[in-house]
Amino acid sequence: MEGRKLKGRFGSRGKTEAEEGHNTMSQAGPVTETSSKPAAGANARRAKTIEAKEVNLYYGDFHAVEGVSMTIEPNKVTALIGSSGCGKTTFLRSLNRMHELTPGATVKGNIELDGEDIYANGVDPVAVRRLIGMVFQQPNPFPTMSIYDNVAAGLNFNSGRVSKADKDAIVEKSLRGAHLWDEVKDRLDKPGSGLSGGQQQRLCIARATAVSPEVLLMDEPCSALDPVATLAIEDLIGELKKEFTIAIVTHNMQQASRASDITAFFNLDESGKPGHLVEIGPTDEIFTKPQKKETEDYVSGRFG
Amino acid sequence: MTPPPDNSAALSTRSVLAGEGSGGGTLPDWAPYGAFGGALVFCAAVLAALGWFTVALMLVFGCLVAIVAIYAWSRPVEGRRRAKDRAITMAIVAAFGIAMAPLISLLYEVVKRGAAGISWEFFTSDARGAITGGGAEHAIVGTLIITACAVVISVPIGLMAAIYMNEYGRGPLLRALTFFVDVMTGIPSIVAGLFAYALFELFLGPGIQMGIMGSLALSVLMIPIVIRSAEEVLKIVPNHLREASYALGTPKWKTITKVVLPTAFAGLVTGVMLATARIIGETAPLLVTTGVVSSLNTNPFQGRMQNLAVYAYNEYRSPGVMKQASYDRAWAAALTLIAIVMILNVIARLVYRRYKTEIR
Amino acid sequence: MPEVRTEYQQELDNLEASALGGLDLVSSALSRTLEAIEHQDIELAQIVVADDDRIDGRYLEVHQALITLLATQSPVATDLRLISAMLHVLKNIERMGDQCVNICKVIPMSGHEPPADEEMVKLILSMGTHTKSLISQAKRAFEERNVEMARDLVVRDDVVDELNRECFRLALAIGDDADKREWAMTMLLTARAIERIADNAVDIGEQVAFVVTGLFREFEDASHPDANA
Repeated sequence: MEGRKLKGRFGSRGKTEAEEGHNTMSQAGPVTETSSKPAAGANARRAKTIEAKEVNLYYGDFHAVEGVSMTIEPNKVTALIGSSGCGKTTFLRSLNRMHELTPGATVKGNIELDGEDIYANGVDPVAVRRLIGMVFQQPNPFPTMSIYDNVAAGLNFNSGRVSKADKDAIVEKSLRGAHLWDEVKDRLDKPGSGLSGGQQQRLCIARATAVSPEVLLMDEPCSALDPVATLAIEDLIGELKKEFTIAIVTHNMQQASRASDITAFFNLDESGKPGHLVEIGPTDEIFTKPQKKETEDYVSGRFG
Repeated sequence: MTPPPDNSAALSTRSVLAGEGSGGGTLPDWAPYGAFGGALVFCAAVLAALGWFTVALMLVFGCLVAIVAIYAWSRPVEGRRRAKDRAITMAIVAAFGIAMAPLISLLYEVVKRGAAGISWEFFTSDARGAITGGGAEHAIVGTLIITACAVVISVPIGLMAAIYMNEYGRGPLLRALTFFVDVMTGIPSIVAGLFAYALFELFLGPGIQMGIMGSLALSVLMIPIVIRSAEEVLKIVPNHLREASYALGTPKWKTITKVVLPTAFAGLVTGVMLATARIIGETAPLLVTTGVVSSLNTNPFQGRMQNLAVYAYNEYRSPGVMKQASYDRAWAAALTLIAIVMILNVIARLVYRRYKTEIR
Repeated sequence: MPEVRTEYQQELDNLEASALGGLDLVSSALSRTLEAIEHQDIELAQIVVADDDRIDGRYLEVHQALITLLATQSPVATDLRLISAMLHVLKNIERMGDQCVNICKVIPMSGHEPPADEEMVKLILSMGTHTKSLISQAKRAFEERNVEMARDLVVRDDVVDELNRECFRLALAIGDDADKREWAMTMLLTARAIERIADNAVDIGEQVAFVVTGLFREFEDASHPDANA
């Protein structure tokens, strides 16, 4: 599949980039400890790692995020937490090259998927987004399409013919994977907008997983949902991580503590300054004995 | 332990709920109509006494008097605020009525006079060789063909321009384009006609008149309208739908064709329908470009083509031997035009309701 | 940054003061117990037994409040460790109170006669005094979050253990005499109880280390006496 080719013209990443915007660091280990959680089962697919090195993000002249280096580990859920405006969503969107869709937005630094620089010259952003999917805060099924067509949208839009039988199989698998199959299997041809909020969000998750990405990014996926639907999605995320690498932005700390394996805390020094990564570590440690006082204060609710 | 209710507090609550002023009562339900009717009668009487009675004057003064009347009636019964409320409601309704009056009057006239000219012959025969009779079949067909060709030219161009401006455009180029589109919406229709005529004169020599030239002139008028309304509709499509599509790894153009346009479809169709209805009755450019002819012509690329607007003008300007019949036919042509516009509007609404997408 | 969650913070502080106040109750119970031993005062012993209700009451009250705080405030990090430590400390306090009651219940067994062996009584009173200072040190260590002070409790507990072993040897010696045997065994039980109280104080010290470092390790495990703290 053409989308898999991510190597730029410059080949391996050991070479110095001629471009001003990229600086490759030789070793930038993240501050993670090896998680104590057991590896996924034997049948689980080994998903890919995203490695961010000294990532700086700008909106025109405004420096939004500075110097983030971290690893999004495979088959795990990494939660990005922090107060409003601290750059966690901006950072998330840079991971699948959605950041640059905003006019004037630029990226400096290195982001690698499975060792391949996704911002290298010659890399097609569309191909990157096929490998790194995203689910948004507001459930947004395509309103003109049926449930079936929504899930199959990625397949239909992308090049390459998929036979009807294959498509049926993929749609069913994705809907089952999203815990939505039983509820909608009798009305696949009805419009997607007829579902409840929680169901719509699961539909969006099914749509995102149908194209078999390596990584799933989620931007506050439960913000618009009621508590029961939220818990359903969190259960679902726990299942999905067996197949995918997942990164989720949330400003609900309890959600981060419930649903993630690794937590990264972003913060702003003061409004107008860029956001930065304060601490990253296994979730149980961040919430029982965080290393930095800033982290401690935030998770204890000592500041907003 | 909550303290027992304080009488003084309860009093002020009650008075707040009742509203300012004395009030406490309500006028009967028929009060507004009664006030209006009474005002009309009053004005009619006054005007008649002064010898200045006309329906229009009665209505206008009647409205003014009604507003004062309802206020005066309501104030002592319901209190100042409600009285003001009623007075302003009356004023707004009256304004609406006055605005509607010309439209209703016009429709009435057209229907009344046009009905006289409507006949089977009107729809089935053209005017070739006719001295006293003849119909408008050639005009009706001509209008439909010319308009259809104008739509075929305008919609793709206008739609693609709107897509460019909304989805791709940025910076000075976009601002310049927007400016020019705004200017184009204000072009006088005769200028559009002259432009089309001059353009064809360049290639084909003077004196040529063709159906397609008329379509071109109408396109010049129609394109900016299509661009405007299409742009508005495209703007309404929420950005998060586009983002959802991008996040699946879809290229931009495919996102537009598969997500944005289908979502905006109902609005786009409505916009096109309304633009069509707007230009279907243009007379001046067609006079210049398509000319006057009395026989049926179904080929837009050859020879003059008649259309309803010019036909009505012609029947009025140069009536045949039987003047009244010609005038009747002119009115009938106008009625037909209005009917076509109404049908287009109805279709637009039906399409909108059928295809509209609830966007949350 | 504006202060947030002040009420929650206040509640937490109050509960900590309340929990540690239980140690004061234990300390005074122990004082009275020692006095009862010294003077063979059965009435005082009965008062101690009755007053244990206060310690139990304190335990239940603070315990309930802590559970409520867990449910309603979702504490994490240091707050969570603190609450967990307080739950343990409350248990220790309650156990310490019960030990005092155990001692006071056996005092009548030795009767009103003058004690059979002065030296034994002196040993036990010394154990008691030492344990009392262990309790107040544990309380200060917790209040100040002082890990060093907490670790020192282990060293000082060794003294109490040593005194306990001495009591045992003395009891064996006295036990040859049939009249004094019963009294000697009563005193042995008493010594054992005081030694348990001291161990509870050391456990409180371990909780101090947990609150501060987030690591829970036994300072000195009975099964690994040579492992360093």
